Amino acid sequence: MKTVKILAGIGILSLFLSSMGCGGSHSGQSSDQPDLIGGLGTAFGMKQEKIDLLKKGVGVVQALEPIGEAEEITLGEAVALEAFSRFGGEYQNKEWTRYINLVGQTIAEVSDRPNLPFRFAILNSQEQNAFAAPGGYIFITVDLLKTLKNEAELAGVLAHEVAHVTERHMLETIRRGAILGSVSEFTLTAMRKDPAMFSNVIEEMSELLFTKGLDRDKEFEADVVGIEYAYRAGYHPQGLRDYLKTLAREEGKVQSRFFTTHPSTNLRISKIDGLLKDYTDIKNLPFLTDRFQRYVKAG
Amino acid sequence: MRSDRFLSLQTPGTAWTAGSRLFYLALLGCLITLWPSLAWAASLFAKQDGVNVTADKVPTSAVVETLNLGDEVRVLSEEGRLVKVKTAAGKTGWVFKFRLTEEKPSTGGGFGLSGLTGKTTIAAREARAGGSIRGLKESTEQYAKTKEIQQEHRDAVDRMTAYSISPEELMQFKKTGNLGEFSGGAQ
Repeated sequence: MKTVKILAGIGILSLFLSSMGCGGSHSGQSSDQPDLIGGLGTAFGMKQEKIDLLKKGVGVVQALEPIGEAEEITLGEAVALEAFSRFGGEYQNKEWTRYINLVGQTIAEVSDRPNLPFRFAILNSQEQNAFAAPGGYIFITVDLLKTLKNEAELAGVLAHEVAHVTERHMLETIRRGAILGSVSEFTLTAMRKDPAMFSNVIEEMSELLFTKGLDRDKEFEADVVGIEYAYRAGYHPQGLRDYLKTLAREEGKVQSRFFTTHPSTNLRISKIDGLLKDYTDIKNLPFLTDRFQRYVKAG
Repeated sequence: MRSDRFLSLQTPGTAWTAGSRLFYLALLGCLITLWPSLAWAASLFAKQDGVNVTADKVPTSAVVETLNLGDEVRVLSEEGRLVKVKTAAGKTGWVFKFRLTEEKPSTGGGFGLSGLTGKTTIAAREARAGGSIRGLKESTEQYAKTKEIQQEHRDAVDRMTAYSISPEELMQFKKTGNLGEFSGGAQ
């Protein structure tokens, strides 16, 4: 009991000193803080393993500071470089780019972060996929775009990605990850001063986005929120479900990292079917098949 | 039955046990807690700048006022995807309800220190390499050089960041597709 009180006391004292600015700059704080804790712990006669446990705890508390919007946009810009670099570069088609931006903006302005500058681009990749980097950088591959049947499907896919951004899924994941776990301040200045740390964060995000995928719960949440956004924008909210049906039929036949970075397609469809029952006034909302065909087939 | 309960509240006599006192105290506490939200239930706030309040339900009708981020309106009635509101300036009109929110939005750019500037776009521009409006941000430029990312991909990100659509074009797009403020029979 006495040890617990000492641990709690040192923890509170360390956090107090940290909040008073005793930790110094970002890079200094991560190294100075453990020394402070270590010194106090030793003075109170604590064992080394308990001091290590406390250091870890303080690191987690520090990592809980949310990442600011300007920092988020900078992270997104760097991840966007990786997206273009890994997925065949930009698919250059002015009409299609304008079209996906018009659909994307229609969704973004009814989202929960309408003031974030969302941008949409097409990747020249022959695998079906779509990504959302922080800060509103949204990507769809040309193969996925060509597979869609109408504008409601496109809106459903883009709304799912917009939802990842509005719910800050990637940011929340890396904020609790190994690299930012020991960083207490993540500002634009800190990014510029410590390019190695910035580079490590981008690599961690790219690994999550392009290889490992986010948690299943975050994918399901993006389905729920994305469907709501598509509905608010005035599209028939069944669009995402219809595209997933197409994808499920192609599973095993087509190559895509989509299958390894997302939960089971059939499980998602099943959950969406349940969700759509709650939308009672969607009967007359449009799919806009003709307009989609005009834009995409003409391109 | 309902009046009996009301009477027992008005005439607390011998029927008031310790248990019932506790119950009514808890009820009173709930009412006090909920009162502010009940009182403000009819207030909504603009989610962004440029939210139009129109004279009629038709989104292309005369604009009586344009709301800025955080501006408060009182809801007078609701019809489908539209709400009839009264603005702080006393003007009455119609707004697409998904451009409004129940909670007063922050006018800042985010949670972090840079969000305190209140102008995200300025903060983002300041971070660009060489101080120019176009071009990658300093950290991204540094990252691209270290990772030897091809110039064509850097240019693609630059184009993507700078991409913009005029409000008029977006409005026309929504109108022809019956989307946004034109959706759900609102036109």
